[in-house]
Formats: sequence, structure tokens, C-alpha cells
Amino acid sequence: MGRPYLGEFEELVLLTVAVLEGGAYGVTIAAELKKRTDRAITLSGVHIALYRLEEKGFVSSALGGATNERGGRRKRLFSITGLGKRTLDEMRQVRNELWSAIPKISFS
Amino acid sequence: MKKQKPLIPQPPRWADKLLASVLPYDLFEELQGDMHEQFEVQVEEVGLTKARWLYVWEALRFCRPYFLKRRLSAQADTMNNYYFLINPYMIRNYLKIAWRNLLKNKTFGAINLFGLVTGLTTCLLIFLYVNDELSYDRYHEKADRIYRIDNELKFAGNYFDLAVGPPQMGQVFKASFPEIENYTRLRWKGTVLLKKDGQVRPVDRVAYADSTLFNIFDFKFLSGNPATALNEPNALVLNETQALKFFNSTNIVGQSFVTDRKTYKITGVIEDMPKQSHFDFDVFVPMADDEDSKATTWLSQNYNTYIAVRKDANLAVLQSKMFKLNHEKLALELKAVINQTLEDMLKSGGAANISLMPLTDIHLKSNKIGELNGNGNPDNVYIFSVIGFLILLLASFNYTNLSTAVATNRAKEVGMRKVMGSTKLSIVAQFLSESLALSFIALFVSYALLFVLLPSFNELANKSLSFQQILQPRLILSSLLLMLVLSLFSGAYPAFFISSFVPSQVLKGKISKGFKSGWFRNSLVVFQFSITIILLVGTIIIYRQLAFIKQKDLGYNREQLLTLHNIGSLGDKAVSFKDELLNISGVEAASMSGFLPVNFNRSSNTFLNNPTGSLEGSVSMQNWTIDEDYIPTLGIKLLKGRNFSKAFSTDTTAVILNEVAAKKFGGDAILGQKIYTLNGIENKEMISYTVIGIVKNFNFSSLREEVTPLSFLYGKDRGSITLKVSSQNLPGLISQIESKWKARIPEQALNYSFMDEDFNRQYESDRKTGKIATSFSALAILIASLGLLGLVLYAVELRTKEIGIRKVLGASIQNVYALLTREFLVLVIVAMVVAFPAAYYLMQRWLKDFAYRIDIEWWVFVAAGVFTISIALLTVSFQAIKAATMNPVKSLKSE
Repeated sequence: MGRPYLGEFEELVLLTVAVLEGGAYGVTIAAELKKRTDRAITLSGVHIALYRLEEKGFVSSALGGATNERGGRRKRLFSITGLGKRTLDEMRQVRNELWSAIPKISFS
Repeated sequence: MKKQKPLIPQPPRWADKLLASVLPYDLFEELQGDMHEQFEVQVEEVGLTKARWLYVWEALRFCRPYFLKRRLSAQADTMNNYYFLINPYMIRNYLKIAWRNLLKNKTFGAINLFGLVTGLTTCLLIFLYVNDELSYDRYHEKADRIYRIDNELKFAGNYFDLAVGPPQMGQVFKASFPEIENYTRLRWKGTVLLKKDGQVRPVDRVAYADSTLFNIFDFKFLSGNPATALNEPNALVLNETQALKFFNSTNIVGQSFVTDRKTYKITGVIEDMPKQSHFDFDVFVPMADDEDSKATTWLSQNYNTYIAVRKDANLAVLQSKMFKLNHEKLALELKAVINQTLEDMLKSGGAANISLMPLTDIHLKSNKIGELNGNGNPDNVYIFSVIGFLILLLASFNYTNLSTAVATNRAKEVGMRKVMGSTKLSIVAQFLSESLALSFIALFVSYALLFVLLPSFNELANKSLSFQQILQPRLILSSLLLMLVLSLFSGAYPAFFISSFVPSQVLKGKISKGFKSGWFRNSLVVFQFSITIILLVGTIIIYRQLAFIKQKDLGYNREQLLTLHNIGSLGDKAVSFKDELLNISGVEAASMSGFLPVNFNRSSNTFLNNPTGSLEGSVSMQNWTIDEDYIPTLGIKLLKGRNFSKAFSTDTTAVILNEVAAKKFGGDAILGQKIYTLNGIENKEMISYTVIGIVKNFNFSSLREEVTPLSFLYGKDRGSITLKVSSQNLPGLISQIESKWKARIPEQALNYSFMDEDFNRQYESDRKTGKIATSFSALAILIASLGLLGLVLYAVELRTKEIGIRKVLGASIQNVYALLTREFLVLVIVAMVVAFPAAYYLMQRWLKDFAYRIDIEWWVFVAAGVFTISIALLTVSFQAIKAATMNPVKSLKSE
């Protein structure tokens, strides 16, 4: 595999960024993940994953404008990059192939 | 915003603070924003209290290595931007490169190091000297409030600037002015012969002192009580050296010395006085033993009077009060003794002033009549300081010059560094750290040298500096500071010059500009040689002046004269001893008198031309008692009249004057006339003397001063006997004299000296100044020539190819030689133009101090010029000839 390593949690975060399309930032990602996985999600964990994804080039980010919410602090909005999408695609394909390669017997 | 809506629930503030201290600066805003947003959501979902707990938990989860690392590395980046100058990695690299360069250019490194070491060592030595000169008398606890009362008297054309005062001045002033805490007086007693176990030894430095001496000055007592030591008559306090000499112990209080006339009881032993004292006595005896000290007169000044004032005293007020009281006392006395009012005296241009001389200023600033000791010379302090500074400057210019010249070699390095991202500032830092490193090595070597050189410097400067003084923190600190300043000063120009190289050009190899635009370097060379020439001219003139003094006709003959001292011990046997000496073959003449042109035994008196006591036309002059053999023995020329003679019984009231004195009394007409003087101030009686002769002026004090009026009286002064000898066998003669001496006083050794040696001793300090000036100018010449050598070496190296091509095209050795030497010779000639007027001016000022001096002649400048040019030529030629004779094939082949 020529691309950088992608951990399980990172993969989840990356998928969430793709899901939230345009409105992805720390709080929304964490809330979305909590809702869907029922795991204990911490903001710090999400952020570290986001910054790592950014370093690896799977997401890009930009600071949004200041709003009246959250004491006027700006938020960093994340969006998935082409590389990120392709990587997700590849991973899905690999999994699908692997799934279909499982002998039926084992599920009986 | 928070403050506008205080009712909105807030997360715990300390958790926010925690976040602020952990999170990277660039992420803080967005992360805190997210935290707060989530908090607001949670408040609604789970309530305030739980939301706050959750907030804290979340904040704690942010304390992870990831964020901390990001924060710290960001911090380190900003640190690097600011502190790259002291980045240890870079400094290590700078030093490594500096060391490699030093090894690569050993010649330049050695020249630089030698120059810096010389400069620093000179500076340190001079610092020690100056520091020592400035520290005189500071060891007394009350040093800053002890003053000496100085008197200034002016009347009828006589002027006295005195370090001494009337006997009762201290007492009277202390009683009248509460500002004065205490006073003490000192007076030279002269030599005392102390007898112990049948051995008699003269002790020269003996003083009368008041019992308050040890209250004002701090001298450490080894035994005895300082408060009472000088209370009793015939008490005696001596120093450690003398105590050990006589008794081999310092615990000798209660012991006694028995001399012919009295018995001294030892009441104290003090440590030897520190060298940094303006007076230096071996023995103190009570002032009460000196009868003169009890006199109440205000017209005789013989006592050095010191006062300690209270801390809150107003000196100006005190001084003016003293001035007034002094006038009152003088007025009373003048009226009573010579029937003149003070007003008359003041009106006719007279003056009687009082000044307070701070104790700590006496050594360097006071040079008055009646000083207890020869004081220091402030000129020497200035001259030495300036010379030390100049030598350091020369060395520093060498460094600047050579580093700039060699800089072209390092252009590629600087280009590379810049390409790799060095800023200009960090290159400056690099080159400054190089000069700092070199200066540091130089300082180290200098310190080591200091220990080696100190004894010879002590000898040269007439000092007794100790090794401890080298290690005093003050010197170490100031030398570190000096080194820092030196390295910054000498490294600054090369550093900025080199750091301004443009990498794109430098890496292509285009920077011959470095050597061509050499006006800066040229002016440094000119400056170096100017200083060298000034020092050279100065040295020649000092030496010529000293030689002049040595050969000058002093008006008496000082060759072949042998003086025997302490004749007083012989008592009445002195005359028979003198007669017996005349029988020794080889002794041509003998005279008995303690007054000699070469010693410090002096006595002065004021003579009047009238018996009424009017000061109009009075002359204050030296007043020496001599015998009839004095004038012929010393070869003094009698101009008019006759010498004293045994044949005239009236000669006890006769006087012989020197030319200056005769002139003051109206010239030759005074011959045969009477002059008058007070016979003691108390009894107000005039005695008269008939002038029977006038002698040619002869020098009896330093040649710095004009000859002053002098009178001879006829009598027997048993200070010393002077012999005119004409023997080839001097040791034999002296042993004969010694055996005759031993026959009379076997317990005392004969003490003798030659007059020409005594004379030379008077000019010892000038001779030492001359020696120091010579050493310094030698150093200066050495440093300047080394600098020149470095520059020539470099010029030749740069032009190796050029010379090769010139030779191939037919240039002769002479052509090449001229090419290389011309530009350096021009520099030396410019330096001469600058230096000659300066040297002339400075030496004119030095010579002004001498009443008898040489003219500054033109050949001195020619000699200095020729010498400098030859040294420069020699330096340059060595390299130039080597370059000129080099085989062009070799130089052109080298790439």
C-alpha cells in the first residue's frame, strides 16, 4: 500500500468529515460519532485525529469567520480532500473484496 | 462578550487556564471554541454541574503529549529566531571553524596573538601600577576625613608653598573649631644611632609624633598600647623590621635602647607601614622630646599637621574660619616681632593662606616644601596610562587589519553560510566570537606572563607590587571587561565587512574588492606608525635630556669625592679624625659639613638688608654651615671676595653668598656690607653678618629647578666629611679610612658614598621613566612592524600571479620589489607627517619641567624617520624579495 497508514478511529473521523460535508468541525464530528457509535468520544481525541489526517493530507481545513456563538471564537472547518476520498474508496474496495472472499461455510 | 452576558453558564475558569497553558498557541482559539460550544450543549442536556465536570474531564484529556510537543516545538522555533546568536550548536561550530582557521593561517594567528598578548600584558601591568599609585593612604579607617593643613606664604618677593605649619597650629585650631575631631603633628628627626649589645646602628627614618598619631592613622600594633605609646617622654615605637633587626623579636615592649645622650624605652612595635603611604618611618618618638614643638611662635613652619574632621563638617566653612584665625595669630606676632602690621604685608602683595589637603591626594597631587617624603608623580600616571592604551590600540589595529585582509580567504565560507540560511547578524556573531576566542587565549597568556614579568616591572617602575595584587578580583574583573571591549573593538570592522559579502558574487570568486578598497586599513597603518614615531622621538629626547643632565657643569666637581656619613657619632673627636684623614696619601682635601649639593640636608632662613626688621628687600635663602675647606674641596668657584679663613677671628659673623643671592641684595655692591637675620623669634634680637665673598652658582637641587639663593656661614657642622681623593687604589684607601674610624668607634660601621653616585640617584626616577619609555616604544615598533609584515605577506600572496606574469613579460627583480614596497613606504611617510608635529609639541611640554634643558633638534626627527623607514623596509623587503625572486613558472602553475 503506497498511502500513509490510517488507523480505525482516524478512518471513522475521516468518514464523518465526509458525511458532514461543509459543516465538519470538532464539536459536530464528536456529536455525530457519539450518536452513531455509542462510544465515549473525547474532543481531544477527535482533534488529534483531525490534525493527523491533515498532516497526512486526507483532510484540509480553514478557519471560519468569527460568529456570536462560543464567545466569538472562530472554528476550524474540515473538508475531505481528493486523496482522502480515494483512500476511503480504496479501503472500501479492499474490504468488499475481502468480504466476498470469505468462504460461506464459516457462517453456517 | 462574557462580561456582557454574565448569566450564561460558564465552564470552570481554572480548566480554561489549564488549557491555555498546555495547548499550542495557534490552535488555542479554535479548540477552546469547540470546548465551549460543547459545554453549552451539555449544559442543556445534562445540567450545569455535570457539564462542568465533563468540561474539566475533557480539559484534562487535552493534556496529551501531542499538544505539548506541538506547543514546545513552536516555542523552540521562536527561541531560535531570537537566540540563534547564542545557540550552543552554532557557537560550537564557530569555535571549531575559528580554531581550524588559526591552524591554517599560523603566521597571521601568531602575529595577532602576539600583538594582543603584548597589548594586554602592558595594559595589565599599567593597571597595576596606576591602581597602586591611586591607592595611597586609603588603608586608614578615617582616610576620607583626614586632612593636612597646608600654608601658603608670600611676602616681599618670597613665596612659600608649605606642607608644614607653625608648631601650635593643630592645638589652637582644635581648641577653636568643634569640627576638628583630633589632630597630630609629624616632624622628621633624622638619623638616630641606636645602641644594643655594644652594636651601634643608625636608623634613618625617625620622626617626632604626637601621642594622637595612632588615633588618627591606623597602624597595626604587634605589641604595646596605641593609646598610650607616645605619651611618656623618651618612649619609642618602632616597626617590625627594626625590632627584628635589633632584638630578633617583636615582643619587646619595656626593653630599652641606651644611646650616648639618653635612654629610650620601647612602648610599641608596629607592623611595617604599607608601601602605599605618603610617609614612611621606621621609628616614632614623642613630640614632647622636640623642644621646638613647644614654641608658641606663628612665624616658623616646621610641623606637618594632620586633622581628622567630624563626618558632618562643612569643609569650606572650616577652611574660612581657619583662614581668619590664622590671620589673627599672624597679625599679633608680626606686630610684636618685626613691628609690621598684617595689613601692610597684605597690601604690599603678601598673602597668608591655609588650605586643607585631603590625605588621599597627598601622594599624587602635593609637591610642596616640607613634604615628609618624595611624593609620586601624577605625570607618570598619565603618561603610563596613555602609553598602555596606545599599545593596546596598536595591537587591536593589527587584528582588525589582518582579519580584514585575510577575510577574502573566507569569502567562500561566508557565501556558503549565507546560502545555507545564515543571517547577516549570525555571521557577525561568528566573527566576533572568533575575536573573542583569540582575545581570551591572549588574556590567559597575559596573565601567565604577568607572573613572570612582575619582578622586572617592579624594578623598572620602582614599585613593590605583589603577586597577590595580580589575583585581586578587581584586576581579574576589569581585565575580563578589557578583553571583551578589545575583542568587540578589534573584531567589529572585520565582522561587518565580511558579513556584507554578497553570496552570489562571492561564490563566483569575485572579491578582490576586499584588498583594493584599503583606505580603512591604510589609515590604521598610518595611525600605528604615527604612534610608533612619536614614541621613538620621545625616547630619543628623554635620553638626550638625561645625558645632558649627567654631563652638565653643575658648578662644583662631583667626581672623585667620597663622603663619610654619621660623623656626628665621633663627637669632639671629629676634627682630629678629619686632620688624620688628610695624612693618608691619596686624600687631597677634606671638608666637614652635613650640607651637600646631593643630599636633602637643608636649612633656610630669611635675611634682611636692614637692622630695623622691615621685610622690604629681604631674601629667604638656604643657609648652610661649612668650614674653610668646603669651597676648595667641592671645587666651587669663588667669584668675588675671599673664602672663610682661620686667620680671621671675625669670620664667625661672615657670610658667603651665591650669585643669585648677591643679585637679590643688589649685586656685587653687597660685598663688605652687612646683612641681618633674627636671632631666634622669641628674643627679637637681630644679628648681623658681613658678606665676604660671592661664589658662582652651583646646582644643589634638582636640575628641574633654577638655582635658588644660598648663603654659607662659617662653623663646624658634623654631619659628614667629604674627601677629595686622587688614588688609583680606592679600596685600599677606603680600608685605611675604615681602620682609622674603627680605632675611634669600633661598635659602629663606617658609612660612606661617592658623590657622583649620590647625584645620579637623584635622577633615578627620570632614568626609569626613560627606560620605561624605551621598552614601550620598542614594543610599539615591534607590534607595528608585525602588523606591516602581515599585510605584506598577504599582499604578496594575493599578487603571486600578477608578479609571475610581470616577470614573464620582462619585469626585473627591482621592478617587482619597487612595486611591492612603494605603497607601504608611502604609508610610513604619511605617518611621519602626522607624527612629527605631535611629537614636537608633546616633548616640548615634557622638557618645560626642566630649568636646564636641551633644544629639540631637527636631527632627532631625521633619526626617528630613518629608523622607522628602515624597520618598515626591512619588514617589507624580506617578503618582497622573496616574491620578486620567485620562479614565475611555479607561481603561475599553482592553482
